[in-house]
Amino acid sequence: MGGDDAPRSVLAGARLAAERGIPVLLVGQPEQLADVRDFEVVPASQVIAMGAEAAASVRKMKDSSLVRAAEAVRDGRASAMVSAGNTGAAMAASLLKMGRIRGVARPAIATPIIVPGRAWPNVMLDAGANTECTAEWLVQFAQMGAVYCRDRWGVQEPRVGLLSNGEEAGKGSPLVKQAFELLGDRDWQTRTGAVFAGNVEGRDLLEDLVDVIVTDGFTGNVALKTAEGVAKQLIGALMGAFESSEEAREGARLLAPALAPLYDEFSPDSVGGAILLGVNGVSIISHGASSPKALANAVQVAHELAERDTVGSLRRVLRAQ
Amino acid sequence: MPSETHVEHSPLDREGVLSLVRECLADILEISPDRITEGQAFADDLDADSLALIELVETLEEELSERAVGFSIDDEDLEDLKTVRDAVDYVHGRLSRSS
Repeated sequence: MGGDDAPRSVLAGARLAAERGIPVLLVGQPEQLADVRDFEVVPASQVIAMGAEAAASVRKMKDSSLVRAAEAVRDGRASAMVSAGNTGAAMAASLLKMGRIRGVARPAIATPIIVPGRAWPNVMLDAGANTECTAEWLVQFAQMGAVYCRDRWGVQEPRVGLLSNGEEAGKGSPLVKQAFELLGDRDWQTRTGAVFAGNVEGRDLLEDLVDVIVTDGFTGNVALKTAEGVAKQLIGALMGAFESSEEAREGARLLAPALAPLYDEFSPDSVGGAILLGVNGVSIISHGASSPKALANAVQVAHELAERDTVGSLRRVLRAQ
Repeated sequence: MPSETHVEHSPLDREGVLSLVRECLADILEISPDRITEGQAFADDLDADSLALIELVETLEEELSERAVGFSIDDEDLEDLKTVRDAVDYVHGRLSRSS
């Protein structure tokens, strides 16, 4: 049971999810959960610290909450896991305990990026699981992202974009150029029910140009963190401007009703966390600072993906090649 | 102890360890066990990267924990395991010491 404010925020999130009718199993230290009567608890005596080395921690701390949660999914005791703890360790535990879907070279982190005015976000993957990738892996990421996009948001023929430094086909690193060639192949598109829409640029992350954005984990993570940093600075600058004078404060009060829905739309709380695609189970990775609402949304997403058998959909598409 | 929950394991000799390593590795790399020989290097011959090795170690630990309680492979030793033979010798040595 990880996260910056665990177990308090996790418990509050679990209760919110339970109020929505979703059965929740808690995994954590029994002494921390001694007063919890409303949930079944899977005891786990160890906690992998947020900054701990991922794979080594998972290997050594067999009784950690992350390892026990992944085992619960593997053994069928839980249908999905959600963690706000150490991202790398959540990934390693999911991979090592649930295993990879047959045919998947590397699992990837798929993160939703809000598209203003559109009912579903863009899905970017890989957002950080694999810093070094091959072009073939990027094609698999495209397949997994498209299946996820269809299962979760009902986008029937997801458009896939390849993140590059220009829209033109010849733009990009050797990896991007090679991936462009492979993604242009009709076979994978037909098998997956997706369409390759060409290159997209960093400025297109929040645009309604594609539904899935494919990149290597290094670039994806840098792009994601850059977008988060820009958003944070912009919001800070706006708040500063609103407080800069009495007139500005009055203007902000007038604007507040129009700005509130925008805040909700852009809030990371609404998207429910990233998902590790390519493992034999649903594994949702939430931000360490997730609010109870964000965690409840993550649990809901996990529940829905398990109900829809998204892992089964991935198996079918990836087996077909 | 009820018979259905108690499984007797015969000691695993070196051939048995080799067979187990080949089966586990084949499953991870999604290739036939027949393509795996003792002399092959993980990286150069089998294209098995560090992640595949960690998966192999985890699988071996789970498979062998029933035979040798608490059987584990030290992460520090992973760097020395360059070939299938290295892994087989290492696992066989650990099992022999624990029996």
